Amino acid sequence: MAWSTAAPAVSAAFLAALVEIVEAFTIVLAVATLRGWRPAVLGTIGGLAVLACIVLILGPLLGHIPLATLQLAIGILLLLFGMGWLRKASLRAAGIISLHDEDAIFAAEAAELSEQARRQQRNLQWVAGITALKAVLLEGLEVVFIVIAVGAGRGLLLPASLGALAACAAVLVVGAFVHRPLSRVPENTLKFGVGIMLSAFGVFWTGEGLGIAWPGQDWALLLFASLFLGAGVIGSTLARKLVVGFA
Amino acid sequence: MTMLKELVAELIGMFLGEKRLTVTILVLVAVTGVLVDFIGLDELVGGAVLLFGCPILLIESVCRAARRGAS
Repeated sequence: MAWSTAAPAVSAAFLAALVEIVEAFTIVLAVATLRGWRPAVLGTIGGLAVLACIVLILGPLLGHIPLATLQLAIGILLLLFGMGWLRKASLRAAGIISLHDEDAIFAAEAAELSEQARRQQRNLQWVAGITALKAVLLEGLEVVFIVIAVGAGRGLLLPASLGALAACAAVLVVGAFVHRPLSRVPENTLKFGVGIMLSAFGVFWTGEGLGIAWPGQDWALLLFASLFLGAGVIGSTLARKLVVGFA
Repeated sequence: MTMLKELVAELIGMFLGEKRLTVTILVLVAVTGVLVDFIGLDELVGGAVLLFGCPILLIESVCRAARRGAS
């Protein structure tokens, strides 16, 4: 397998998984801090088990879909998902919408759990476990999609999965060490970068699905990524000027 | 049941976050498909429509959101 083929898929899966797992980690940590590690760990294991079932059920089905159809479908979904991330990251960079704040999310989740404790004294462990499960499941679904999206078109599911697993391990190691929300992770910069990569993959797969043979093959991704980088920067700069102009 | 609803909402939200951007991307892909597969335009011209169309749609969407947010 060529490095130029695997590297974009592995790095996109790693960075995207890093963003999502940091978000899930914040909520699991809030559960563990307020209700102990037992419901947090059980909820996390439950969420991972449901995700594994989804992958085991849907994974083999991918092999039955014609390659061009798979590339087109995944390409369109990547365009919608990646450009959505890039749009949001550009607006955050321009100060139009507020930055994602892990400390604030941790505080909100802790307050929600305390409120639930006041409302119902029974089943607190259950509620905490479900909260952790939901966080892992919802954020994990996005990771599963991204791994499939960047890996399935060229038989790169394994390297992409390894990229996502490496991100998971990195967050767990750092999280266990600092034992607080990972608020210093430059989330918007990561989202900006991942949005660029996913959008570039989206154009690539959509084009291939429509029968377009891109010149330079995988190297074309670099050109696509630089175009989306330029678009994100221009969009963000123009948005900032528009806001200043209105003020 | 509530969790299932949240899961479905999350899945839909993943791809259909901003309706107008979603629709314009889908229209652009459809136009590219028509140009390449039905009209028989050179595939690289079709590819260029898709490649340059997407960043233009992105910039337009960001600027529109900024105008909406500022007004």
